[in-house]
Amino acid sequence: MAHARPIATTRSATGIPTGRLAVWWVLASEVVIFGGLLGSYLMHRLGHPEWADAAAHTQTWIGAVNTFVLLTSSFTAVLGHQAAEKGDGKTAAKYLVLTMGGAATFLIIKSYEWTNEILHGYTITANTFWSFYYTAAGLHALHVIAGAIIMGFVAFDAYRGRELHRVELIGIYWHFVDVVWIFLFPLLYIAK
Amino acid sequence: MSEHQDGHHVNYRNVYLILVVLFLVSVAGPELGIRWLTLVTAFGIAIVKANLVIQNFMHLKWEKRLMKWMLTTSLILMFLMVAGVSPDVLNHEGRNWENLAAQAAVERGVEGEGEGGEVAAEEVVAEAGFNAAQTFNLVCATCHGTSGAGDGPAGVLLDPRPASFTDPAFWETRDMDRIRAVIRDGAASVGGSSLMVAWGASFSEEEIGALADHVASFRPPE
Repeated sequence: MAHARPIATTRSATGIPTGRLAVWWVLASEVVIFGGLLGSYLMHRLGHPEWADAAAHTQTWIGAVNTFVLLTSSFTAVLGHQAAEKGDGKTAAKYLVLTMGGAATFLIIKSYEWTNEILHGYTITANTFWSFYYTAAGLHALHVIAGAIIMGFVAFDAYRGRELHRVELIGIYWHFVDVVWIFLFPLLYIAK
Repeated sequence: MSEHQDGHHVNYRNVYLILVVLFLVSVAGPELGIRWLTLVTAFGIAIVKANLVIQNFMHLKWEKRLMKWMLTTSLILMFLMVAGVSPDVLNHEGRNWENLAAQAAVERGVEGEGEGGEVAAEEVVAEAGFNAAQTFNLVCATCHGTSGAGDGPAGVLLDPRPASFTDPAFWETRDMDRIRAVIRDGAASVGGSSLMVAWGASFSEEEIGALADHVASFRPPE
């Protein structure tokens, strides 16, 4: 090339790769979104002792299994990142596919759980506790779905040895989804 | 490769194992039945776990300081929001105000907010003593409407449409025995729609009589 054109993805005033900076910005805004939602839930929960009766109906063991599934999927995501750093795109793709399997397992368990609850009459309109329950867990589940789809694209490229730095980027996002669940689990399932 | 990527040697497996152990402790915590301990194991451990994931898996440990400040700013904004709003949400009365709706919600308990759909609604009736109008509004009005005009939210999609008790034509072919029979045994027992199911198992004969009287109260004057 005659002229070296500045490329946005390689240029950085902060010394942080642009893609990674962008992911962190996304997460900084997510902190406010989820933080606001969970903060509101916590305030209402503390102000309404009667919610404990509604919260008693959430199924702790299902929440626990899903916590374990997401923790494990975070582990496979970071192993994918480790492989990508070594330039091993095939192994990275394999770990990303395992992580997507974790996402699918999480969602299947969640659908079973929600079906069960809705059939018992605990719908999003049943009372304010259940409204928060479905809104918070539903928003989180949408993040799981979005992450798994993006991960599919990243894994596709990584398998062919392309755009390996993206394995870390999707990983950072995925760990955040895990962190949100780490807080949702005690809030919705354990503190009764 | 930036210095960031070369610099850290985390044993991811060990971090993962620690996370799993912490997770097991947080699940086991409530089994002891000590409330403050449950809260410590639930939320204390959540913070420790989140920190382990953020520092080691997301590599925030090795990230530039700018990034940490960015996230801290976000967290501070979130806490400001919560701190600013919480006095109004946590308290239900202050020096110059009271939140009657919130007080009433606490007073009613969780069933009063309509928890558990139809089944729970029936339980409320059983506990509170029988009130025909209230029962009609909880159980029948879903299809028949609170005004008895057959315009309840769940009735919109039914075919045939739910009976309208405010329609003079309805009363031309009905008497009180038939109203009671339909409530008790379902409309199909008198050749009507099977969508009007039998309620004989849920209500006593006296309660069915009171419900039938309530239905008759919608009858337009002749």
